[in-house]
Amino acid sequence: MTPRVAVRRLMTAIAETPAIGIAIASLLLFASLGLAYHNEGQARAEKIRDVTVQSRVLAASLAGPLAFNDETATHEYIDALRASPEFNAVGAYDDNGKLVAGFSRTGELLPQRNQVARPIVQGDELIVTSAVTQNGTKLGSVYVGAATESWSRRAARYLGIAIVVVMACLLVAVLTAFYASVSAANRRLQAEIAGREQAEDALRQARKMEAMGQLTGGVAHDFNNLLMVASSGMELLERTSDPIRRERLKEGIRQAIDRGAKLTQQLLTFARRSPLSPEVVDVGHRIRELRDLFERSLREDVQVEFEFGDGLWPIEVDPSQFDVAILNIAINARDAMPDGGRIRIAAHNYPAGGETTRDMVRLTIRDNGAGIAPELMEKVFEPFFTTKSVGSGTGLGLSQVYGFVRSSGGEVKIESVVGSGTTVFLTFPRSSQEVPRLDVQPGRERHADHDAIVLVAEDDEHVADLVGEMLRELGYKSKRGATAAEALRLLEETGPFDLVLSDMIMPGKMNGLELAQEVVRREPGLPVVLMTGYSEAAATAGAEGFPLLVKPYTIEAMGQVLGQALRA
Amino acid sequence: MADIGRSATLIALLAAIAGSPAPAAQPFENAVKASYLYKFAPFVQWPPAALGASAAPFTICVAGSDPFGPALDEAVRGQRVNGHPIVVRHVEAVRPGLACQILYVGGEGAGEALQAVAREPVLTVTDHNKTGAGGMIQFVMVAGRVRFSIDQVAAQNSGIAISSKLLGLAVSVNR
Repeated sequence: MTPRVAVRRLMTAIAETPAIGIAIASLLLFASLGLAYHNEGQARAEKIRDVTVQSRVLAASLAGPLAFNDETATHEYIDALRASPEFNAVGAYDDNGKLVAGFSRTGELLPQRNQVARPIVQGDELIVTSAVTQNGTKLGSVYVGAATESWSRRAARYLGIAIVVVMACLLVAVLTAFYASVSAANRRLQAEIAGREQAEDALRQARKMEAMGQLTGGVAHDFNNLLMVASSGMELLERTSDPIRRERLKEGIRQAIDRGAKLTQQLLTFARRSPLSPEVVDVGHRIRELRDLFERSLREDVQVEFEFGDGLWPIEVDPSQFDVAILNIAINARDAMPDGGRIRIAAHNYPAGGETTRDMVRLTIRDNGAGIAPELMEKVFEPFFTTKSVGSGTGLGLSQVYGFVRSSGGEVKIESVVGSGTTVFLTFPRSSQEVPRLDVQPGRERHADHDAIVLVAEDDEHVADLVGEMLRELGYKSKRGATAAEALRLLEETGPFDLVLSDMIMPGKMNGLELAQEVVRREPGLPVVLMTGYSEAAATAGAEGFPLLVKPYTIEAMGQVLGQALRA
Repeated sequence: MADIGRSATLIALLAAIAGSPAPAAQPFENAVKASYLYKFAPFVQWPPAALGASAAPFTICVAGSDPFGPALDEAVRGQRVNGHPIVVRHVEAVRPGLACQILYVGGEGAGEALQAVAREPVLTVTDHNKTGAGGMIQFVMVAGRVRFSIDQVAAQNSGIAISSKLLGLAVSVNR
């Protein structure tokens, strides 16, 4: 176990309980007490050794004077020790143990008789006795009483360090206890966070499921109605031969199919799978052009006002989706004002800085209707959420707005005050391009390119038949290959063709895009048009520079795209 | 300062004894000399051959007139010198080869006896003699107290070494 691991384990252990920290502090305290005791013992042993040596030196010096009763010399030697304040009492004794000479500083009398014994401590005095011998002959003894440090002085000496040690131990105990409590709080907090995250996940999942339920339920409901119209219309169509009635039934069926197509288009927009064909647009111009549409879809008691700033920056959006989004918002505003009111549509430049990092154009659509209740604000963008009565709203309006704006790199925000109205803010990034000045009206392409031969690559039998019919309707001839490989074979064997029209998603080794690239490689002059219903595929095709037909498309759209491609 | 007081008493007593050399003082003085006689031994170093085996006795011989009587025997009782038990011998005539470590010659005319052991490792002790020859250590009375002088030359000639501690206590030393 490396020291680092050991330290980490210790910290983990300390974090578990404050008891370990307190134990460490106590251990430190006891260790310092033990150390102090040990030092004290050592100092004492040293003192005893010291005094013993002194007494032996004295004893050796006193051998002669004691043996031959030389009191002068005896006094001289003893007086030499009097100079040191360390010695409280010193005495010399003859070989019979009788006191010969000495002094006592403490006022206590020297013992009259002396016996050599081990050093002892009496109170604050250390008493050491040594025999006076010469060559093994005992000639007398000495008695030395040395002052030792008193308990109070020793305690005073240790007090300072003791305070520091105790404070340090307390600090350790407090810090570790604090650390443990913080760790415990942290663990609780983390557990709580984990619990909340789980709860939030569960809630999110539940909401997702709820939205899914609403979505599928709504779609199923709407489609069911449309299918009902279509199937019953078909049935009635078979039973009647009255041309006027048949015409009415066909019209009904067509309307049902149109509504279905619109529905799927809106769904795809919300899912951001609907291909957008962005164009550079002048917001003010585009909205003014909607005036007719407003008049038709809004009631007479609803006024529409415009307010557009000067020099509005262009934005890059899919124009038709843009129109739909504006119309959706306007229709919501209309429905919020059953007794009439005013819709005010304004657009202003919103330069970078502050909330945004780039130049934006902000579109504000304000009504003075009923407003949205705060608890519903979160849900307004959810698909199939509607406050309108059954049949009068699909619940896809604002979700189309949301999907479209997000796909266009913009933002949408709603502010509402119950009773005084709702404001929808649409923000789009400024486009770096200029609005194209197209004076040429796209003309009718129908029957424009008679007898042009189109090679169709489409795996789906029904779609292929339909495409063939539409091409014949437009005056083209067509040949069909079910896979890319077959299309290439046809190109080799039965050419020449004037145009290749290929689905993008096809079975086999080669998809539509690869087929298009291969065709261009083989016959650089041959125009290729791709078809798809998926936005990702559409984006790739656009990036590669191939013209695109977005499914489902009308005969008119087909004629226009093919015509352009043939002329290019 | 009881010890000092006691010493003073002792000094006064000794002074009183010295001041009146009455016959009553003689036994005390001789008792001191008797104790000094064996106490010289630890301060003196004999050649190893002179002491013999450790069980062999350490002999103090007394020749001439014996001033000590039983005092010497009292003083040495139970005492040992370097582990050797101390024995006191009274000799009539001193001859070379005498088995003594210390020889005390009492009375006048010690010259003959000293001459007999002059070249032998024997520590000779006499009282101070103004006229005749003395031993290596001679007792002297100074201020009524028993002191001694040392003839270090004579001791060295006999192969005896005397400790500087003892030399330091002597009233005079012949070096």
